[in-house]
Amino acid sequence: MPTRPSPQLARRGFLALAGISLTGALAACAGGGTTGRGGTKHIRLSTWNIPTDITSYQAIADEFVAAHPGTSVAVEVTTGQFHQWFITRLAADLAPDVIRITPQQIGRYAANGSLVDISGAVPADYRKDYSDPFWAIGARDDGVYGVFQHTDNFITYYNRDVMEQIGVTPPQALADAWTWDEFLDVAKEVKQVTGKYAFGYGWSSPETAYRWLPLVHQNGGAFLGEDGATPSMDTPEAIDALAFGRKWYAEGLATTGNLSKSGGGDVSRNLFLTGQIGMMLNNPESIAQLDTDMPDNWGTAPMIRNVGEASDLGGNALAVTKSSKHPELAAELVAMITSRSKMQQFCHDGNWLPARKSLDAKDIGYAANTDTMQRFIDQGTTIPLSMVKAESGEYFSSLNAVFADYLDLCLLGQLSPKEASNQMMEAMRSVTAS
Amino acid sequence: MSLRAETAPVRTTASTAPPTGGLPAGGGARRSRGRFVPYVFIGPAALLFLGFSLVPIITAIALSFQDSSTSLGDGTWVGGKNFVDMGSDPLIGTALRNTLVFTLGTVPTSMAIGLALAVALNRPLPGRSVFRALFFVPMVAAGVVVGVIMSWIFNGDYGVVNNLLEALGLGRVPWLTAPGWAMATLVVVVVWTRIGFCMVIYLGALQSVPAELKEAAAIDGASRWVRFRTITWPLLRPTTSILLILNVVFSLQAFDVIYVMTGGGPGFSTTVLIQYVFRSAFIDARMGYAAALGLVLVAILLVFTLLRQRANRKAEEML
Repeated sequence: MPTRPSPQLARRGFLALAGISLTGALAACAGGGTTGRGGTKHIRLSTWNIPTDITSYQAIADEFVAAHPGTSVAVEVTTGQFHQWFITRLAADLAPDVIRITPQQIGRYAANGSLVDISGAVPADYRKDYSDPFWAIGARDDGVYGVFQHTDNFITYYNRDVMEQIGVTPPQALADAWTWDEFLDVAKEVKQVTGKYAFGYGWSSPETAYRWLPLVHQNGGAFLGEDGATPSMDTPEAIDALAFGRKWYAEGLATTGNLSKSGGGDVSRNLFLTGQIGMMLNNPESIAQLDTDMPDNWGTAPMIRNVGEASDLGGNALAVTKSSKHPELAAELVAMITSRSKMQQFCHDGNWLPARKSLDAKDIGYAANTDTMQRFIDQGTTIPLSMVKAESGEYFSSLNAVFADYLDLCLLGQLSPKEASNQMMEAMRSVTAS
Repeated sequence: MSLRAETAPVRTTASTAPPTGGLPAGGGARRSRGRFVPYVFIGPAALLFLGFSLVPIITAIALSFQDSSTSLGDGTWVGGKNFVDMGSDPLIGTALRNTLVFTLGTVPTSMAIGLALAVALNRPLPGRSVFRALFFVPMVAAGVVVGVIMSWIFNGDYGVVNNLLEALGLGRVPWLTAPGWAMATLVVVVVWTRIGFCMVIYLGALQSVPAELKEAAAIDGASRWVRFRTITWPLLRPTTSILLILNVVFSLQAFDVIYVMTGGGPGFSTTVLIQYVFRSAFIDARMGYAAALGLVLVAILLVFTLLRQRANRKAEEML
């Protein structure tokens, strides 16, 4: 019938249009490809949204491109929650070539084939300039899946006025660090002065619960056993560490508003700045704000200790993803960024601590607080290898979530240290068994 | 009249062209184009639905029958194992219970306050538009932003709420650090973000309630409350039903504010189901299990919606 055009034709036309549009849309989503016109090899590097660091990476990238004709490097920003961001991009084969990744995040991806072995591109002399713990972050038995670029850790910050009022001179040498008992004695006096609490701990989100693990190691315990896989939070040392933490809150030395799951970012820093605590165990990120808001009224001492020393493992490594179409080139870029000279420049510009042991604060040439930065560098030597292996292990993201749950319950007093240990172990075993 | 006179011939010409086989030149092509036009208009929406709803839904269903513990897309088929595993997962019960408490706390409260505000603002008031806009602003604010700001406002040690309470001689409240208080605080925050939405929807419905009915009742001596109860409220029933379903959906999907303000804590006291889905997927990397949990959430919503619709139909039949 000429007056009734075939509906199949229209449907086919529609489907054709849909197909063409979908193809176009998918092509548009493809991220621009990794080999451009004229054979240019594109590399994408993703970093946290820190303006200074983006500038630093771009400057190194420009040098890399100049030395490698026919390449281009784009610096991108990692958005949202890291695992969500990375897993979805890996699934779409659109992950950036190079990612900046924390030690606590790298384990899963090194184990499941999402990261590429870059040992062929990393010069042999790099290993010699890294401590065993820092090298272990990216190294596995079958290759190197990341190179640690910069670190940070926890030391003790104190309010100078408060210390003067209680007549205490905080220790300065690592060997003289306050033991737990000494720290609690000082804390009780600090609480008298502030009228509120004594100290805070530098968690900033549930994902940072692991920052409390040094306490377990300071007491001779460990999160995971020697094999780096067996849960070991049921040892007397680990349970005693939980009891020590419980004491902070039971005696009102720390506020229950300062836990890993507390919202609002770094609560301890806010408490310190508002004079509600006189000490905090925290990382170098606080320095800039302390300089601005309470200049000359803060000082630092080593991280507390007990039978052993330990501090938090902070910082980032660089790794090459399986999405990379030019993994050798990307690995070369990682090697360049983690070279001694580039690390020195990066740490200088971004006020970071170097991962290489041959660099100290004078080499870096920090604009300010050189002594404090050197204290952090020295404190970095106390980060234990067993803790590094646990935190950069395959299951750590899940184990850290379990640790956050039961540490929270223990510190709040909803579970005794022994009960928290038992339930934590059960949950940890279910993670490692799966 | 003049408009009708001008447009009528055009319509007639178009619809009664003689099917003589000798169509005017271009007529068939125009008709073909005419039939094609609707598809062009629905095409983009259909593509979006296909790409961002239908395909992900089918993928999620497929994923729920896989063990995808390494990364997305690398799963192995495990049948109904993920659903069976839920039976022995101790956190599921806690998450479901918290979800129920959170939903019961947020949905009726935000609807009741939204209705009260709508009734109050459905009459001439100085600055009425400003009030309407102010109540609606929290709804359009990003959940993460709301969460961060509220974390500060309700902080037990330096939050403005506790400072105010202390200034008034009242004690400080552990808003976010005691299990019972934390859930209550979240409910308050979410209700605050949601009342503007309920208010706007109820306002629209109130304006369609025939004024003559209320006037007639008033002439018969009905009080304001009686007029509301016997005329306005029954006529708002379809709107209430839709709002109820939407609010339940919002509450079951509430993630960002809880994630930012309490992280599911203290302990597990504010861990809700959607948060557990996220944790299973992106912290534990158990994509298949997370997809199965997501389907359970969808099933709960579906059952609730069907029950609500059936109840609504019965109520309408009784009117």
